[in-house]
Amino acid sequence: MAATTADGSKVVGGGEKSNVDEESKMITLFSSDGERFEVTQEAAAMSQTIHHMMEDGCVDDEGVHLPNVGSSILAMVIEYCNRHVASPDEKEDIRSFDAGFVNVEHHTLFDIIRAANYLDVKELMDLCCQTVADSIKSKSVEEIRELFGIVNDFTPEEEAEIRKENQWAFE
Amino acid sequence: MSFRGMLREMKGEVGAISRRGLLRSRTPSVRRVAAVAPEEAARQGCCWAELPPELLREVLARVEEAEPRWPRRRDVVACAGVCRTWRGVVKEIVRVPEESGKLTFPISVKQPGLRDAPMKCFIRRNRTTQTYYLYIGLTEALTDDGKFLLAAHKVHRPTCTEYLISLDRSDTSRGSYGKLRSNFLRTKFTVYDAHPSHAGAMVSKRWSAGNYRVSHVHYELNVLGSRGPRRMRCVMDSIPASAIEQGGTAPTQTGFPFSNDNSSASIPFFKSKSSRMDSFTAPLSTQDQEERQLVLKNKSPRWHEHLQCWCLNFHGRVTVASVKNFQLVATDESAPTNQEHDDTTLQFGKIGKDLFTMDYRYPLSAFQAFAICLSSFDTKLACE
Repeated sequence: MAATTADGSKVVGGGEKSNVDEESKMITLFSSDGERFEVTQEAAAMSQTIHHMMEDGCVDDEGVHLPNVGSSILAMVIEYCNRHVASPDEKEDIRSFDAGFVNVEHHTLFDIIRAANYLDVKELMDLCCQTVADSIKSKSVEEIRELFGIVNDFTPEEEAEIRKENQWAFE
Repeated sequence: MSFRGMLREMKGEVGAISRRGLLRSRTPSVRRVAAVAPEEAARQGCCWAELPPELLREVLARVEEAEPRWPRRRDVVACAGVCRTWRGVVKEIVRVPEESGKLTFPISVKQPGLRDAPMKCFIRRNRTTQTYYLYIGLTEALTDDGKFLLAAHKVHRPTCTEYLISLDRSDTSRGSYGKLRSNFLRTKFTVYDAHPSHAGAMVSKRWSAGNYRVSHVHYELNVLGSRGPRRMRCVMDSIPASAIEQGGTAPTQTGFPFSNDNSSASIPFFKSKSSRMDSFTAPLSTQDQEERQLVLKNKSPRWHEHLQCWCLNFHGRVTVASVKNFQLVATDESAPTNQEHDDTTLQFGKIGKDLFTMDYRYPLSAFQAFAICLSSFDTKLACE
């Protein structure tokens, strides 16, 4: 069933009902690269940032511009919110969805965390931070640096101490 | 084509299919793109360093919370070795053993233990190499694989015995962490720390720079002579008696424990909250100093007529009778009746051949407790 509206915007939730239906009022979100997304207010409210804007009456007819979030990541965040709003009580399904959701490239995870932080979607932040924490498990210092692309900025003396510290820890 | 480009193309072709609010414009397989476009690959290397500090803290706090016990706790130490930023965050998150009951970094071994409960450790003795190994238990069992903490190597000298204590189990020759030294009769022992426990610590004149007196232990026969258990009196030079009073604190070392020189790069950063410690430079005599030192004495066992032996309640943590077994409690020598505290500050005892438990608590650190226990191995005062 086609759900692209006349002006080319993509409907991503509750699209079969009209916009004036009080139970699934829609809100328009614009990504940093100008793509337009229609979401239910309920799903959008999972973002505390957007929720506060709606409450404070800062959302006009045009919608909400999100200059910090690109379209591909915003689409993912919206998918997450829609799924969690649709069936919040089906814990097994949600868990399975979440596991699949974070099964992405490491740098994509980074983008999602940044977006979730900016949009203040607590559940998504928790999920992503836990995923990153899990990726650190059982790794050596060098492996962690490589995974995260972090440069060693310790002095040689500090590095020697840290090496001994880790030697003791891995004893 | 970039991942983003592919996604947009997919969305354009398939459109957004709305069904119960689910976005179905992408199939799961699209998300897991096998080949990463060059610009994305280049990004991979650099973006995590830009993670906002509050998010990095979120992540590292989860790592710390997930691994309270060894050996997995090594993940926390690994995170602290990644870069300066990560180290700073981990050091903020990790609490001292006194508060958390957890040992994390090597320096934890020189920090006071938990206040309300004993930290349960065990010691393995290797008679062949004359080496003693201290471990903290991983479980509630008397002994398990344990997490290695310290090693001590016994060295016989013409006029004394020395135990050289090290964090490196394979190299105990230098005693780079500290040492225990006995007198000729092996009735008096002095514990030295290679690093100062507080800003005003006295450097022993008889030793090279980098040796700070921590405590001294004195063994005596009791009034029954060798027919009764020996008496132990342990004076903690580095801990004030006020440490065990309400609101009292004990000095807490921080900083790198590995360097054993006095260069500025290795000067530790002190966390002692008490300003009175700065004047704590007095020698052994308890009369001259402004601050009384903490004194620990061994709890007097009771003679069990039926079993015909001296008994102490070790709460199941000691299972083999031995003259080495003891419990130390804080004693207020200034009080008229030599008031003993109820809580056992240090308990040590045999559980098997060459295997001993060591339970310590605040204000002692694992290092101090270990050194005191080593003196029990060495002293020649026995009882029949």
